[in-house]
Amino acid sequence: MTVLREKTLELTLPHGVHGRKFDDSNHGLSYCMKAVDFIVEEPDRVLFIEFKDPDHPRADPKDRESFLKELLSGGKDDDFVRKYRDSFIYRWAEKGDEKPIVYFVLVATSCLDEAMLLARTEELKRKLPVEGPASGVWQRQIVARCGVFNLETWNRHLPQYPVTRVTP
Amino acid sequence: MTITRIKFENFTVFKKLDIQPCPGINVLLGANGTGKTHIMKVVYAACDISKTQVDFAEKLIRVYLPSGRALGRLVKRGQGSKRGAVEIHRDATKLRISFSNHATVSDSATVIGVKEWTSQPIESVYIPVKEMLSNAPGFRSLYSQREVHFEEIYADILDRAYRPALRGPVDRERKKLLTKLEKFIDGKVTIKDEEFFLRNKQGNLEFTLLAEGMRKLGMLWLLIQNGTLLNGSVLFWDEPETNLNPKLFGPLIEILLELQRMGVQVFLATHDYVILKEIDLRRSSEDKILFHSLYRDDAGEIQCDSTSEYLKIHPNAIAETFADLYNREIKRSLGEIGI
Repeated sequence: MTVLREKTLELTLPHGVHGRKFDDSNHGLSYCMKAVDFIVEEPDRVLFIEFKDPDHPRADPKDRESFLKELLSGGKDDDFVRKYRDSFIYRWAEKGDEKPIVYFVLVATSCLDEAMLLARTEELKRKLPVEGPASGVWQRQIVARCGVFNLETWNRHLPQYPVTRVTP
Repeated sequence: MTITRIKFENFTVFKKLDIQPCPGINVLLGANGTGKTHIMKVVYAACDISKTQVDFAEKLIRVYLPSGRALGRLVKRGQGSKRGAVEIHRDATKLRISFSNHATVSDSATVIGVKEWTSQPIESVYIPVKEMLSNAPGFRSLYSQREVHFEEIYADILDRAYRPALRGPVDRERKKLLTKLEKFIDGKVTIKDEEFFLRNKQGNLEFTLLAEGMRKLGMLWLLIQNGTLLNGSVLFWDEPETNLNPKLFGPLIEILLELQRMGVQVFLATHDYVILKEIDLRRSSEDKILFHSLYRDDAGEIQCDSTSEYLKIHPNAIAETFADLYNREIKRSLGEIGI
């Protein structure tokens, strides 16, 4: 069973599912392209996963507060979008297959309630964007679906991909 | 001296309820029919009679308008003869009214503590859900001369709004609030022949031509300017979010927090998440805020759970609605991709 780790958060993949840490030194283009934390390959789809860890036990409370303020005012949306799009282009060049891609963002903090998560999910859908132009000229989607979670809603909705916090 | 305790027994929807408000902002939450407005009306009636010295039972009739003006209809419905009672406390001072469900007139009620209660008058104002300033011309005279079927809170709010400005210079805190409001409504409110206008560089704009949300902020401006909302006043506001653009909720909450810091006790009934969250995000640690969550227990009776912390509000019907929407949104995402 594969376990992927980002700081104090561990993501356990289901048996037989392959995944990799994407934003590590193997990326090779970090000077010009952003990257999501993990790419998980399922037989029929691909998951792009981004973790944010404001509740990291060693996080400075001031940094945590300013991160949450920025997140709630939509200031992090562009970062999530850029990470997705750059990873999408990278993987397109790498594999060129046509599996639908799903994008999940985990912001591991108990401060985010469902109303905030809903607002961020809707903004991410709008900004990625999930839908193409109204003219209908897009023949395919650049992202199939997306969702923003906190630790509790992640484990509730994605029990096959459990995330746990480990000691630093 | 602020309202410190409200007790109900077989009154309207309450079988037995005991609420201890804080001296600052009291936010009443709960699904429809859990009695938020009833609580505010009864406390408002008690505050109002402390100044006007109107009979408490009579004021309750005028504020609730039970059918046939029968006081007994305010007793919680049930079989047989019953008595309803309400108690409002300001520290040791207590006003109590009780009456039977057969009571048809106000005289049949028993009221205790009126003398002491009215010896310390409280300034109060009740802002109802429906905006009234635009309907003001002629309404007051019609209300005083005819039996019109309007709860008295609508006439009372106009009485407050028509008050002339306070004499003397405006103190710094009030000036700051008035300037803030003038920025949002883009002008000042003036009254001419019982008609309200917004005055700015373009001239006088009648209230009927203003957005309803703006009229509400204009009302608040008037109440601060004429000194109705001062240290020691009590403000009741039923669903301030109605017809107001959510972008104005933040500034509105900022003004309510300032009023609270000046010593105004506030009662607020809301169904809106943004209002709640704005209070949570804008409050400082010194602000006195209490959330009162009204709900029905397993027996169907109304209970109240009070907390000063937003995350501890339970049950929170508003947040639960968002949780439900979020869950369905995520399920849709996951369901369509077959995870």
